[in-house]
Amino acid sequence: MNPTTPTQPGRLSFGEPAMAGGILALGVFALVRAGSIAEPVTAAGAIGPRTMPYFVGGLLVVTGGITLARVLRGERGEAEGGEDVDLSGGTDWLTAVLLAVAVLGHALLIGVIGWPLAGAALFTAGAVILGARPWWRALVVGLIMAFAIQLVFAGGLGVSLPPGPLLEGVAFLHG
Amino acid sequence: MDNLNLLLQGFATAAHPEYLAFAFIGVILGTAVGVLPGIGPSMTVALLLPLTYALDPTAALITFAGIYYGGMYGGSTTSILLNTPGEASSMITALEGNKMAKRGKGAAALATAAIGSFVAGTLATAALTFLAPVAADLAVKLGPVEKVALMVLAFTTVGALLGRSVSRGLAALGVGMFIGLMGVDGMSGQMRFTFGVPVLNDGIDVVVVAVALFAVGEALYVGAQLRRGPQQLVPVTRGWRTWMTREDWRRSWKPWLRGTAIGFPIGTLPAGGAEVGTFLSYSAERKLARGKAKEEFGHGAIEGVAGPEAANNASAAGVLVPLLTLGIPTSATAAVILVALQHYNIQPGPLLFKDHGDLVWPLVASLYIGNVLLLVLNLPLVGLWVKVLQIPRHYLYAGILLFAALGAFAVHFSPQDVIVLLVLGILGFFMRRYGYPVAPMVVGLILGPIFERQLRSALQIAQGDWLTLVQSPFAIVVYVALLLALGGSVLLRRKEDDLEHELVEAAR
Repeated sequence: MNPTTPTQPGRLSFGEPAMAGGILALGVFALVRAGSIAEPVTAAGAIGPRTMPYFVGGLLVVTGGITLARVLRGERGEAEGGEDVDLSGGTDWLTAVLLAVAVLGHALLIGVIGWPLAGAALFTAGAVILGARPWWRALVVGLIMAFAIQLVFAGGLGVSLPPGPLLEGVAFLHG
Repeated sequence: MDNLNLLLQGFATAAHPEYLAFAFIGVILGTAVGVLPGIGPSMTVALLLPLTYALDPTAALITFAGIYYGGMYGGSTTSILLNTPGEASSMITALEGNKMAKRGKGAAALATAAIGSFVAGTLATAALTFLAPVAADLAVKLGPVEKVALMVLAFTTVGALLGRSVSRGLAALGVGMFIGLMGVDGMSGQMRFTFGVPVLNDGIDVVVVAVALFAVGEALYVGAQLRRGPQQLVPVTRGWRTWMTREDWRRSWKPWLRGTAIGFPIGTLPAGGAEVGTFLSYSAERKLARGKAKEEFGHGAIEGVAGPEAANNASAAGVLVPLLTLGIPTSATAAVILVALQHYNIQPGPLLFKDHGDLVWPLVASLYIGNVLLLVLNLPLVGLWVKVLQIPRHYLYAGILLFAALGAFAVHFSPQDVIVLLVLGILGFFMRRYGYPVAPMVVGLILGPIFERQLRSALQIAQGDWLTLVQSPFAIVVYVALLLALGGSVLLRRKEDDLEHELVEAAR
């Protein structure tokens, strides 16, 4: 059912130790930087804003360190299953990267072309990256969805998402 | 009987046509989104949160009650009808339910899940009605030291018991707590870990983190490992009158009640691992099975759907007890609900029932109403849910991304939040990929700041004497219980592994 159980040794990838090492590094960073948090003179005996960062940093160093040591000794994390997930096929990194780029593009476009068009762009890009064909059908679905959301927010909830310069004059898109 | 009066008043509020409509919308939305494959209850709640922003608190909470129960129910429909191994929480239901569906008894599996959910939900909500005020009265007497102990219990169990690897679970918890530290420290006004980035000065909004981890992380992850080829859907015979035979009823009612009795108490514990109840119920039913049922276990026994499904819903109601009375969320879904409450400046805890009775009792009442609505709607609407399951996956996950981006943007109307969403979503992707559970991170993020506040006031009262933390009898009891729970979980996990091996073998 799961090709990678925790105890099963497998090929050492770059990502596994990098993830555990990243957590370890975050912990070290937290411990180092905690000392430079300004500590106001507090009432006698009260602990200030540094204690919790030290504690969290320590937790991260210990758990990250243990995980890293285990990974280096050959333990593999068990990738999460799911209804639409096929773990036997390997990871398609390109799709994940393209989807991330689509979200980034959406964030940058909201201010330029407004929410409805940026939203439609995100939906269309996401669907096409995931295999929707033909692309124009995804675009039509995306436009309908984005404008429907805009209308629900403006009409039903009374909150206006920024319609953007192109659609500025369209009154019914405003809350 | 005072509580009964308050509950009746709650019903009077919740039965107001407008609020009834919100409960209705919540149940429909929650089930529809919950049925979508790949979307569990916590993602359902997180994604639909922005929609409730513009409502008044009562309407929002009532809608939420519907979404919560609807999302729970929707998940089990998916696992019965979809011919794929589901996510961990609904895996047990999927084991027998899916086998039943393959043998042509899918309708009976859906019906026993729906009616079992209703029975368990109603009984557990009734138990909640009477237990929560009592628990709140007790909780009032707890000082910071006791609360620190309870939160240590919650942290450790959520971190160590969720997921397969203890070190990874606790690491996820730590990352969540770290994110919780970012921004201005409420007690001293000092900046912590803002990296000089202004957008981080107020900390990262919890909604953004939850949506990023559950929705964006999931969409990226599924995108990278998408099951290609046609979806295998198990056909279900139409006509709900013939769904459950007399024998199905006879075999279902005891597992429903046992599942409720197992699930609710486990849910009420201020400790992680509410889904343990589902597993315990399954193994109890398997042990108790006699004759024909015994033969059917592993090949689609109705008891194996009825019991765990009831346990699942009963513990969902049970989880609300520590959430509402102590302010301690023990599941990712509960953590998101806590965020929703905080959004309305409602701080769950011992005083909630006194200060916000006008909100809590309609919420409890709408849990009852939501249960009834679910039963009435879901049996006839199963044809619609089957259609929902057939949504092309490229549209489904593109839609999840769109709604996630909307949810992050709607918090402050700032595109920067969408970028933070993306960064955390990428983190969620790698966590899934390398076996780090996501739920402890959300719990750590939300509970971390509350824990710090209590810890600091406990030490302030004791003038910096750390021994104060183990000088209360209550706290000592909690710490001992924690040790026992950790010891017990080792045994339980071994048993669970054995069971899983057996099932894998049987499936071959």
